[in-house]
Amino acid sequence: MHNNASRVAMTISILLLMIVGASYLHMTNGVFDMSVIDVLKTLLRIEPNPKFDLVIFEFRLPRIVIAALVGVGLGMAGVVLQGITRNGLADPGILGINAGAGAAVVIFMFFFQLRVVTADMSSWLSILMMPIFGFVGGTMAAALIFSFAMKNGHLDMQRLILTGIAINSGFGALSLFLSLKMNAQDYESAAVWMAGSIYNANWIFVVSMLPWLLLLGFYVYRKSYLLDYFQLEEDSITSLGIALEKEKIKLLLASVGLVSACVSVSGSIGFIGLMAPHIAKQLVGIHHRYVMPVSALIGACLLVLADFIGKTVFAPAELAVGIVVSIIGIPYFLYLLVKSKA
Amino acid sequence: MQTAFRLENLSSGYEHVRVFEGLNLTIEEGKVTTIIGPNGCGKSTLLKTIGRILKKHQGTVYLQEQNMQNLSTKEIAKKLAILSQTPIAPGQLKVEELIAYGRYPHRNNVNRLTKKDEEMIEWALTVTNTKDYRNRALAQLSGGQRQRVWLAMALAQETSILLLDEPTTYLDMAHQLEVLDIVKNLNEQHCCTVVMVLHDINHAARYSDQLIAMRQGVVMETGTPQEILCADVMRKVFNISARIMEDPATKTPVCYGYDVLKEDNQ
Repeated sequence: MHNNASRVAMTISILLLMIVGASYLHMTNGVFDMSVIDVLKTLLRIEPNPKFDLVIFEFRLPRIVIAALVGVGLGMAGVVLQGITRNGLADPGILGINAGAGAAVVIFMFFFQLRVVTADMSSWLSILMMPIFGFVGGTMAAALIFSFAMKNGHLDMQRLILTGIAINSGFGALSLFLSLKMNAQDYESAAVWMAGSIYNANWIFVVSMLPWLLLLGFYVYRKSYLLDYFQLEEDSITSLGIALEKEKIKLLLASVGLVSACVSVSGSIGFIGLMAPHIAKQLVGIHHRYVMPVSALIGACLLVLADFIGKTVFAPAELAVGIVVSIIGIPYFLYLLVKSKA
Repeated sequence: MQTAFRLENLSSGYEHVRVFEGLNLTIEEGKVTTIIGPNGCGKSTLLKTIGRILKKHQGTVYLQEQNMQNLSTKEIAKKLAILSQTPIAPGQLKVEELIAYGRYPHRNNVNRLTKKDEEMIEWALTVTNTKDYRNRALAQLSGGQRQRVWLAMALAQETSILLLDEPTTYLDMAHQLEVLDIVKNLNEQHCCTVVMVLHDINHAARYSDQLIAMRQGVVMETGTPQEILCADVMRKVFNISARIMEDPATKTPVCYGYDVLKEDNQ
């Protein structure tokens, strides 16, 4: 046990260093290159330079913070979903929760004419509303999927994945349909948002998602020990005196909340929720008390790096971070499929 | 004599299938009771229903004279443990860790084991003779070892009642007796009430105080092994003509041969 704990501490420290490293790369590189000293001086408020202030505080820092927070949220949600479905291929994207939350947010944009690109302080109220809309959509998607996948009061895993795919494309089509009905400017912002991007990040987004992430993240972490028990088959879980369906639904709602908060600020970013838990399990074993925080940090690290890649590889053009993640994620997903067959 | 279970007008089954209906039955405390019967007679369904793994359709189950409906699932878990027929756990999980799961209903702090928890785990390891591989991963165990580890997890739950659903399935002859000997020892040395489902009627006769013989969702007979293992009951329950004698070593009845009866006898 002791050995394991020190290994977890080590892994967490390395991941934190990697996140700092990725943030450093992200902060110094871009259309406007800055030196380390410039960045440090700006952050520590030594001889502030308004030009640097603008780049760091208004553009780069919120973007890094959003990337990290979304990564944390998706990483944790992925652990929960894989844990309660006992299926290593479960991911908020594949299960249609992303798409459900996404559709709800597009509906929101459609009716409230919210221009994400030009969001300013006057629209802060509507931005704060977005996670709630996302949550309603995500919950609806989750409820639909689970009601179809329920059989004799038990979750049928094959049906879960199949319905998830169907719900996913259904909500995707709804989002597309609505976005086509929008006027050109709204459409552009919706399209950019749907691809999974964070380059229009600002502090209001951080404020809108942070309370959800803290609250639900803490809840999910406290409950992570239950996910260990959920790896047994249902009869044994019941025999141990765990209110199985009740706990599953609570955890599911919490992860839907996490995903919705993420989707409402970043659009649909797939594969993080799939990859981060798998990598975490490779690093620290199967105990969810350890997997949970490690997966959260891996999610953050991956997303900050992916956003850095998206922003620099084709500079000055930017690649949406969701697309970068998919490019890395698809081969990894296929690898997992092949490996699980063997 | 106190009762472990009293079933009143109990009906149960699956979503669209009623397996048994209007069942009245008493299972005594401190004894080994085994449910026998042909495939699909409802013996596992009965065991699962009294262990609240399966939701009953109608009727009442009294657990030690308390209506089970009024007990929380965690309270029930302190009174009875069920070992299911095909338990599953991740292969990387260590033996000791799995057994510690059995402490769940008694734990307040989920991240730390108390002294009492550790004592119970140690006891479960000793009783099931699994100490030697306590640090091994489940995937590295043989079928017989794994079954004993699962039994140890149920024991760590520290309950006075143990429900076992075909605990000897997939085990070879020696390992089958090993598991049943542990069960018997638990009953005799630790006053554990055992209710189990067994396929092998000779094992059932040898290790049980009471037998419940079921067929097509109906309890045909209940009684001691001597009362149940007789040509008449075997014909009614299993549709066989059984040749039965007393095992001189164990003094229990054994069926040493049988023939299937023709359908027109029914």
